Amino acid sequence: MEKVLLRNIDVPDSHTLAVYSSRGGYRPWQEVVKNIRPEQLIEEIKASGLRGRGGAGFPTGMKWGFVPKDSPKPKYMVCNADESEPGTFKDRLLIEKDPHAIIEGTLMAAYAIQSHTAFIYIRGELAFGANILERAVDEATQAGYIGKNILGSGYDVDLIVHRGAGAYICGEETALLSSLEGGRGWPKVKPPFPATHGLFGCPTVVNNVETLAALPWIIEHGAAAYAAMGTDKSKGTKLFSVSGHISKPGVYELEMGYPLMKFLEEDCGGVPNGRRLKGVIPGGGSMPVLRPDELEKVNLDYESVQAAGSLLGSGGVIVMDDGTCMVRAAWNLARFFAHESCGQCSPCREGCHWMEKIFHRIEQGEGRKGDLELILNVSGNIMGNTICPFGDAAAMPAAAFVRKYREEFEEHITQKRCTIRNGVME
Amino acid sequence: MDCWAGPLLQYSNTPIFRHLILMDPIKLTIDGKEVATTKGKTVIEAAAEIGIDIPHYCYHPKLSIAGNCRMCLVEIERMPKLQIACNMPVVEGMSVLTQSPKVLAIRKAVMEFLLVNHPLDCPICDQAGECWLQDYYMQHDLQGSRFQERKEHDRKREVFGPNVVFDGERCIKCTRCVRFFQEVTRTDELSVVNRGDHSTIALFPGTVLDNPLSGNVVDICPVGALTDRDFRFKVRVWYLQKTSSICPGCSTGCNVSVETYQNRIARFKPRINEAVNSHWLCDEGRYCFHDLTGGERLTTPMIRQEGGLVPTTWERALEAMLSGLRGAIPLAGILSGRNTNEEAFLFAKLMKKLSQDCALEVLYQERELSEVQKILMSPDRSPNFRGAREMGVSSNGGLEPLMRKLFDGHFSGAYVVGEDLMGINNDQDRIRQMLQKLSFLVVQDIRMTETAQLAHVVLPSTQFGEKEGTYTNRNGRVQKLNIATIAPEGALQDCEIFVRLLDAAGDKVSYSTPVEVFDALAKEVPAYHGLNYAAIGEQGIQLGGGEAKQQ
Repeated sequence: MEKVLLRNIDVPDSHTLAVYSSRGGYRPWQEVVKNIRPEQLIEEIKASGLRGRGGAGFPTGMKWGFVPKDSPKPKYMVCNADESEPGTFKDRLLIEKDPHAIIEGTLMAAYAIQSHTAFIYIRGELAFGANILERAVDEATQAGYIGKNILGSGYDVDLIVHRGAGAYICGEETALLSSLEGGRGWPKVKPPFPATHGLFGCPTVVNNVETLAALPWIIEHGAAAYAAMGTDKSKGTKLFSVSGHISKPGVYELEMGYPLMKFLEEDCGGVPNGRRLKGVIPGGGSMPVLRPDELEKVNLDYESVQAAGSLLGSGGVIVMDDGTCMVRAAWNLARFFAHESCGQCSPCREGCHWMEKIFHRIEQGEGRKGDLELILNVSGNIMGNTICPFGDAAAMPAAAFVRKYREEFEEHITQKRCTIRNGVME
Repeated sequence: MDCWAGPLLQYSNTPIFRHLILMDPIKLTIDGKEVATTKGKTVIEAAAEIGIDIPHYCYHPKLSIAGNCRMCLVEIERMPKLQIACNMPVVEGMSVLTQSPKVLAIRKAVMEFLLVNHPLDCPICDQAGECWLQDYYMQHDLQGSRFQERKEHDRKREVFGPNVVFDGERCIKCTRCVRFFQEVTRTDELSVVNRGDHSTIALFPGTVLDNPLSGNVVDICPVGALTDRDFRFKVRVWYLQKTSSICPGCSTGCNVSVETYQNRIARFKPRINEAVNSHWLCDEGRYCFHDLTGGERLTTPMIRQEGGLVPTTWERALEAMLSGLRGAIPLAGILSGRNTNEEAFLFAKLMKKLSQDCALEVLYQERELSEVQKILMSPDRSPNFRGAREMGVSSNGGLEPLMRKLFDGHFSGAYVVGEDLMGINNDQDRIRQMLQKLSFLVVQDIRMTETAQLAHVVLPSTQFGEKEGTYTNRNGRVQKLNIATIAPEGALQDCEIFVRLLDAAGDKVSYSTPVEVFDALAKEVPAYHGLNYAAIGEQGIQLGGGEAKQQ
């Protein structure tokens, strides 16, 4: 498989303009800005089948197409570099090793919607990456790829790197926009949607880092080449960040549809120390965990993972071996979501903390009869009833852990302690 | 995360969608009932139009949509998820369910979430009895708490400003208060701080919640988080008797509910009137009843004898007064701007009967208003100056020439109703000398004011809340006052005093109650032709045929 996203990262100084250019970088941008009309570009990306890599998997070209062409308001393009999903670290690699690919993709997306101001909103904790991005933007500006009348095309675009203050919720696109506007990082109620009423009430597109980084390759090689990879509905390649009990953790680029177990066992070296696999979260901390028996037929594409009962999400693959206490793992995630709930809407604000308190109590050996039903019920009451997808993100894993490892939770409640010893329940 | 939004978004660029959004009557069904409404409305508004009250906390018709409480989630045909009615635009042919099993279940769930960290100590909460958590609990929840954990704590009794106190634990973070100060007063004192279940409302550092409309957030706070420092813990709200009336604070004429307990006014609450005050009431008006009522009341008429005021009967007082004033021509008559149209009508009639050589005016003073004050307040403190002048209590040039003539010694006699002239500016000595020079002074008031102490005859009358009648506000809207409290034994209604005097002066009128007086003045005062008391109703009537403005 030809690498689309990780094609540059092993080259020394890949983050510099010199190296990026020497490998053909910014040639697609020159081609776009000089010879391709915005509508053509949107059609090309639609044809490539590229879907948003931030977690929702929404078709990128279609998203661009929602931006009204005749709006008198300015339009904004925002690159979402607020990567903070537990177990996800793919965007960070691109930011640090291939910032120019992100910049080039962001410029193309801006051009596609005819925005003249683009932002890269980067998570505050990624200070190292932010410095690299800022230097890369300076380089690209000096080289004439950003600014006024780019390469004589008559098209102008500014690119601003904006650092967030460190909140998971700001990865949600409307919370990101609130934060970018200078407000509290609160998601906005929809409708209206960002495509018509986004940043400062103007038409806006928010795309993930990985999505944008794929654009130069698609333009260089053509939509057909990209669409030739992957499955029927999940085209191209995707990055997977593998962490946890795995021999070779790291960021991998796979063609969509790659078998999950093959990936874990062959590419990632399997579960180390002779232990057995107990569970995998395939799409970052907000997605339901899958048991080994559910994993066998799973391929790494949107449809296959969904069919197995989880979601591909951000591609953050968290591997847990049989020494893992699933109660503690569930509590750990619940604690994260309780801490990160923005507090705007009632079900999430109150429900996330409530679930965290129950998980914590069970973990501490103070579980009560009825606790598990209560968690399932509370998570069900959060699901689908909140302003933004955060509520689902907190509710889905909580319910999945309880449903899939129920016996272990019940042991915790009746024995009033963790009974996992050497990989088995006592 | 926005997959489900795709179908709606796709339409947003099409001419059909815009056509639907921007204009035109449309039809939808809510709980099987067909609703004819207009584009641009939301489901919650359309439902209200046919009397379906979709429960809500954060939604307020005068504030932006926050969508955070999730209480108004409803089921909409062909939409997989429940939708908040406050933010869902109506669409032609849409079918909405507000009572489906899914909707009833989520209401219970939202109530449970809101009560997770809410103290369950209703008996010691001042909001009890008018708390939306209590009301919706009864209507939509009615289950025991499944929450067995430690509740999060927050600040209690934090003073936000002179009129408002905050209880963080009772707050449900609906942000109505935050939005009110962002959108109505634009003073931005409040904000949400912290995250998750530690979210709380806080004053912006260095500010105090002392803007002229601050009390409104107590009204719009659906729970016991923001309470009124003046009112809290004085009376349980279910003992309050509520009477529709008009704020006597200034000539805006805000519609209020006068709420009384044991014959005392406990508080004012705004009544909604889109032609006047919308949902709001200013702090000055809200608390003005303290100055206008109470104190040691006059309960017997007095006349001056051998250097002192001594109690007498009404008959003797009125007799002394008539003969005194008749012997002190020219006459000045000064009426309070808080007197009603009916009182003003009778006063003007009486004074003109006593002598054609009399000058009448309404006490009226203006002050500068700040931008925030201007949202609601008028520069005067004379709620009925316009009405009183239209009733004939007016002289050429207004109050100032009349006062100048008073100081110049032009008048021999004066009849001062409902105002303490000594209190109107700092030049008290000069006013005292001027009043002492009068050969006959009659004062009609509720208390023994400094002006009354100089009078030859003092008549005890009634205060705001004790009388009915009408005010005409600055913009010419005639509105009704109703009796909320009973006047003390011995004091008479101003109308009754004037009618008795007219009677004694030989002008026997066929009317005496405010209702009868109004119908009489409607015949005599051209601007009021055709009006009748009963038609004024709860929302008032616009002079000049502006009935259409009524909401």
